Amino acid sequence: MTAILDKATPEPIPGGVPADADTVFTVRNLWKVFGPKADRIPGDASLTDLSTAELRERTGCTAAVRDVSFDVRKGEVFVVMGLSGSGKSTLVRTLTRLIEPTSGTLSMDGEDVRAMDKKRLLALRRNRVSMVFQHFGLLPHRTVLDNIAYGLEIQGMAKQERRDRAAAMVAKVGLDGLGERRPDQLSGGQQQRVGLARALVVDPEVLLFDEPFSALDPLIRRDMQEEVIRLHRDEGRTMVFITHDLSEALKLGDRIALMRDGEIVQLGTPEEIVDSPANDYVRDFVRDVPREQVVTVARAMRPPHDGEADTGAALPPDATVAQGIEAVARGGAPARVVSDGKLLGVVDHERLLAVVAGIGLPATPEQAAEDVVQA
Amino acid sequence: MSATTAEKAAAKGGSADTGSGAEDERQGTTPRGPLPVTWLVLLGLALLLPTSALLWSGGWPDSLGVDAVTPLDSFADWVIENRQTHPLFLYFLLHISNVATDSVDGVHNLLESLGWAGVLGIAAALAWYVAGAGRKGLKTAGIAVGALAAIGLVDLWSPAMETLALMVVAVTAAAVLGTLLGLAAGLSDTAQRLLRPVLDTMQVLPSFAYLLPLVLIFGTGTPSALITTVIYAVPPMVRLTSLGLRGGAPAVLEASRSLGSTPWQRLWTARLPLARKEMLLGLNQTIMMALSMVVIAAVVGAGGLGESIYSALKSRDFGQGLVAGLAIVLIAVWLDRTTAAAGERSGAATGRWAAGIAAMVGAVALALGQILSRSWPESWTVDVTAPLNSAMEWVVNNFYQDVPVLGGTSAWAGNLTTWVLAPLNDGLQALPWWSVMLLAASLAWLVGTWRGAVTAVLALACIGMLGIWGPSMYTLSQVLVAVAIALLLGFALGILAARVGWAEKLLRPVFDTMQTLPQFIYLIPVVQLFNAGRVAAVTAAAVYALPAVVRITTQGLKNVAPATLEASRSLGATTWQQIRQVQWPLARPALLVAVNQGVVLVLAVVVIGGLVGGGGLGFDVVKGLTASELGTGLTAGVGIVCLGLMLDKLTQPSAARKPQ
Repeated sequence: MTAILDKATPEPIPGGVPADADTVFTVRNLWKVFGPKADRIPGDASLTDLSTAELRERTGCTAAVRDVSFDVRKGEVFVVMGLSGSGKSTLVRTLTRLIEPTSGTLSMDGEDVRAMDKKRLLALRRNRVSMVFQHFGLLPHRTVLDNIAYGLEIQGMAKQERRDRAAAMVAKVGLDGLGERRPDQLSGGQQQRVGLARALVVDPEVLLFDEPFSALDPLIRRDMQEEVIRLHRDEGRTMVFITHDLSEALKLGDRIALMRDGEIVQLGTPEEIVDSPANDYVRDFVRDVPREQVVTVARAMRPPHDGEADTGAALPPDATVAQGIEAVARGGAPARVVSDGKLLGVVDHERLLAVVAGIGLPATPEQAAEDVVQA
Repeated sequence: MSATTAEKAAAKGGSADTGSGAEDERQGTTPRGPLPVTWLVLLGLALLLPTSALLWSGGWPDSLGVDAVTPLDSFADWVIENRQTHPLFLYFLLHISNVATDSVDGVHNLLESLGWAGVLGIAAALAWYVAGAGRKGLKTAGIAVGALAAIGLVDLWSPAMETLALMVVAVTAAAVLGTLLGLAAGLSDTAQRLLRPVLDTMQVLPSFAYLLPLVLIFGTGTPSALITTVIYAVPPMVRLTSLGLRGGAPAVLEASRSLGSTPWQRLWTARLPLARKEMLLGLNQTIMMALSMVVIAAVVGAGGLGESIYSALKSRDFGQGLVAGLAIVLIAVWLDRTTAAAGERSGAATGRWAAGIAAMVGAVALALGQILSRSWPESWTVDVTAPLNSAMEWVVNNFYQDVPVLGGTSAWAGNLTTWVLAPLNDGLQALPWWSVMLLAASLAWLVGTWRGAVTAVLALACIGMLGIWGPSMYTLSQVLVAVAIALLLGFALGILAARVGWAEKLLRPVFDTMQTLPQFIYLIPVVQLFNAGRVAAVTAAAVYALPAVVRITTQGLKNVAPATLEASRSLGATTWQQIRQVQWPLARPALLVAVNQGVVLVLAVVVIGGLVGGGGLGFDVVKGLTASELGTGLTAGVGIVCLGLMLDKLTQPSAARKPQ
């Protein structure tokens, strides 16, 4: 265990991107084990190889997070996805030590979070990282305004100032006129907007979401997802988003870490996850995903034939295949993929259908681009 | 008493859910009933007990006894001699005593100076305001006015104010003390572990048992009465404060933590506000418990309504006792509704205007109180005691004896004594000490845990060594009979109330009143009907315990998962099949709680039965109180405590323990 702790600089993850100035969270070999004498588990090779059930039987301990490593980059939406019991909620809580990790390294902006004393840790929670919870966690005896101002109150801000700032936030999350209501007078979606406002009002560097929309109706959930996308577009705040809903993960995530039994089984862009699953578990998981919603036209394009360079609709390379299909169907001709005025390639109905059918595609967008150039 | 019952039932019922998995499985898979070991033990006991009674001499051998009375008497003498001079008394206990007297007198003087109109108006304004003002507050205020006016109307205003003064001080002290202890128990697991057994024990102890030490130290008077009341009323406040602090929604607390709150910030901004409802319920129950002590407090010199009842008991004045008892019920209803309404309000802010209106009403009432006469006007009173007494007389005249076929209450009393009480007592007395212990241990082990069995045996040993084996068995025989009567009637009525809607509607208000009436009230009519003696005590005890048993039974039967019941109905089960095969087994934990509660309540009254010739331990305590035989009284008090502990362990199901 000491060996793990001693690592001063984070090592690159195998197959991942090396840590650099743009990373917010750097997590290496993180373990969280619940149970008696949990400390001994991560360092003991004879125990770490056991499955969850075997480990529980042998030691009475449950490993909720096992040897997890990843980076969260500045400004991205990093989604952690998994079924219930996969350890994703535990993982997100270890980031601010709401749950104390058992071993591993964890740093934020290059600062070792695990080494922080109480004061630094409180400062981290108060100013740098805010969290939005599945069950909202609002104080039932306070008004919406006072709930939003709660974080500022804990920081010790004067009453008038914090109420002013909270009032500004009320409008921002679409709760105009509801500031004096109490949580039990609001719908679930509205309550979560309060939770969101409470997290935003302290202007944190990172927002953590723990299945924030699972308790909401499907329609409201979609609204809230749009809200998060809008917020992210407007402010570019780093977000770590926990969900068990694949479509939500694909919709919001710049990158997705898929967890199972406390381990990350695959980490990649939505497209990578859907298109090249790391193993059968992931494959099974993404089987029903409508691929045209995830795969981009950059993956489906081919070199332009004669005369195609100037005709047909223009699409950006990150447009989805679904958007490509719409453009082709409307125009009745192949569409061009254009980036900064430069023609990258062309998608026609054959290539688009191939994506929907899941046959004959290059593995990555880079490869697709290469194919086009070579041709 | 209703408060304790409900709370305890909730506590036990709640934990029973988690703990009874194994039992459920046993019931679910084996139709052959209890485990064979149960039958073996019972069979063994059935053979052993008669044999032992025949072959060995009964009771506790003198050689194993310890003389506690003599040293206790000399200690009491020492206390009485040194009460005025010893520094412990001068610098500590005397201060407590003075503060107690002064504060009760102070509140009483204040109430007097407000005048009746002032008290009425302020009570109404307060009730209206804490109930959240507006329309709903009006109802609460109406109840407050109605209850107080009714008390004035039956000419009990002045004693009611004395009682109210004692209540105000006792409840304030109990609430402060209870909140502090509850904070400790709610925030620290160690404190919780230490306090829990103490609270559990206090809840099963008849308050009669700890009157004497207080009387010894403080003498009869306000301090003893106040402290007894506080001790008795504190547990629910502690328990519910702790429960509220521990039960705060985890999501809220985690959210608060995620925002970087310190533990203190969390306590002030989240945990305490979240516990508000429980704490107000605790206050509510503390008030109810304190009110149920009014008469016992009067036995040690508190005055007020309790004194009216106590003297009515001595002069067999049924009307006077019942009216004073109902006055206590009215105070209880008033305070109960007011605090309950405050708890339900869920913290919605009442505007400044509401406070203004309440203050205005209070001020006007205060002015009126100064203008009108201070005490309730004589001309506005009605005498209800005389008609009540003549009604009771009529009942006694017609049912006491010579009733055709039925024989009359006097004959019943004779029969119950001859055929049930006397043989049971003889049997218990004839059993050698070790076989009684074996019996208690086996039962406690079968029902609960081996730990319970050890406690039961130790309690019995304590009784034996103190040399009060005889009176204890005498009391025990009465408790057993009263419990049997209460359970038989209670289960029958409980099943009826659970199945028939109107029966429950009919029984509920009656039982609500009965549970708030002081235990002493029941003694007066039963003495008139059954003469002073054991039967009166047993009957009063059974009647007193009945509401709790019925209520818990009804709740238990009704709380059976509706889906299960529906499934059984859809399979075509008859009513009786539903009761026997679904409701009864599933409600078993609740029924065991009913038994336990029944035993605790019965013991409390059987002991008080010492005042009406019930004999046994209660009589010794009364002797200690009235004839200054403090040694005897204190020993008997300890005996009651031991008996209570043993009976509680014998009826406390193991499922009440939480699995680790």
